[in-house]
Amino acid sequence: MDIVRSAARPLLPSKPPSLHFVATSLKHKVDRFLDRAGHGRLALPILSCNSVASNIQMRFFLLLLPVLLAPMVSLAQESPYFVTYDHHMEEPGNLDLEVSATTDVPRTGQKYYFAPWMEFEYGVTARWTTELYIEGQTTYGGSTVFSGWRFENRFRPMKREHWINPVLYLEYENLNEASRIQKEIVGGGPDITSPNSELRNTPAHELETKLILSSDFHDWNVAENFIVEKNLSKGEGFEFGYAVGFYHQLATLASGAKCRFCRENFLAGVELYGGLGSTLNFSGGNTGHYVAPVISWLVSDNATLRFSPGFGLTHESSPVLFRFGYSYEIQGIGSNLSKLFGSKR
Amino acid sequence: MRRHLTLAAYSLLVALVTMLGQNPDYRPDPTWRAPDDAARKVNPLANRPGAAAGGKKLFLRNCAECHGDGSGIEKKHSADFLLPVVQEQSNGTIFWKITNGNTGRGMPSFSKLPELERWQLVLYLRTLKPVPSPL
Repeated sequence: MDIVRSAARPLLPSKPPSLHFVATSLKHKVDRFLDRAGHGRLALPILSCNSVASNIQMRFFLLLLPVLLAPMVSLAQESPYFVTYDHHMEEPGNLDLEVSATTDVPRTGQKYYFAPWMEFEYGVTARWTTELYIEGQTTYGGSTVFSGWRFENRFRPMKREHWINPVLYLEYENLNEASRIQKEIVGGGPDITSPNSELRNTPAHELETKLILSSDFHDWNVAENFIVEKNLSKGEGFEFGYAVGFYHQLATLASGAKCRFCRENFLAGVELYGGLGSTLNFSGGNTGHYVAPVISWLVSDNATLRFSPGFGLTHESSPVLFRFGYSYEIQGIGSNLSKLFGSKR
Repeated sequence: MRRHLTLAAYSLLVALVTMLGQNPDYRPDPTWRAPDDAARKVNPLANRPGAAAGGKKLFLRNCAECHGDGSGIEKKHSADFLLPVVQEQSNGTIFWKITNGNTGRGMPSFSKLPELERWQLVLYLRTLKPVPSPL
């Protein structure tokens, strides 16, 4: 791409000198950083075609990529839960990238769907984790739609470990009613009968809060989440939901050898989640409830695979929900970015 | 004679480099103190030195990014485990610090690791050889 664009070099003198100066100094700065970090210099020429600004962005991205992805070994054994949250936060400065999906076995008259989502989880501090979700959905025989994004923050108020560790959770969701990832189930659960063409035009701006209580007890994690959600787009009242779960690492002593299939790399447990109705119709009976075994496997030092089949317990639930996810953790991305922009820390 | 002098000079250089590689900027947090009963805990793996190999693996996976790989320091404010101020702490104290973290100063809690794995980390840290503090 750079080679193609460098054909426009003769135009260089006509460019505003300030933009070219920015491009040059940015390249030098990144090169200096790469030299210091021992990555070697990237032989990308200074671009100077008409759209200098867009080239800066493109080259900046290309230069940034190896810097951001270079970091080495990292801890990535994520909790195996898909719906339940525990009190373990993302480590400060680490970025966890995750691709997951939910699919189901439908009841008669319903259609199969596949709802993938991407997560970007970043540890701002040891007690504050922030996350961005992007999600979509495909219905068999229907259409594929973008169903929105979510921005969540989790705060851990207590400094030390206790018998019960509370975490406060706040999320803003800019979705439409076609969302089916079911990261949580509140109220009566999602509408899985109406067509996407209808659902995608129904916005759902929602605020969601959770009280997360979690304990580590004899190498078991036990977590309980209480969920309250308010749809700001229409009057559904306050909707409620819950999620509880527990898991355990299959071996509690690490072997000295590097191994991928040893038991210490597996976490297994069960989670139970569902809706509890709303202030307009408070009931746990006619909503979706699931019991779901969960398992995660630390595939490599920085990647985890997770899988969970969820079994519907009520007629409002899908008979089976399948969830799977792959997460990749990048350590020290925060400090690498700080260094790139001149911080000495 | 000349060979001995070379060897002595080389040893001195290695010691100097190791000392300079330490983190003299590290200042322990005086408020980060293990309760007495936690500090007195005994490592259940104390008579299983072979478990330290697993501890090393866990160390490289969980700790090395901030604390270095045992031969030097990575981050300015992280404890260098080679320093006497760290090595002089009891096993129970180190275990408690791994478990609870010091979240106000950026050290996360590692209670998600099983208890025995945290003791493996303590066991491995004891295999790191401290050197005298630089003058």
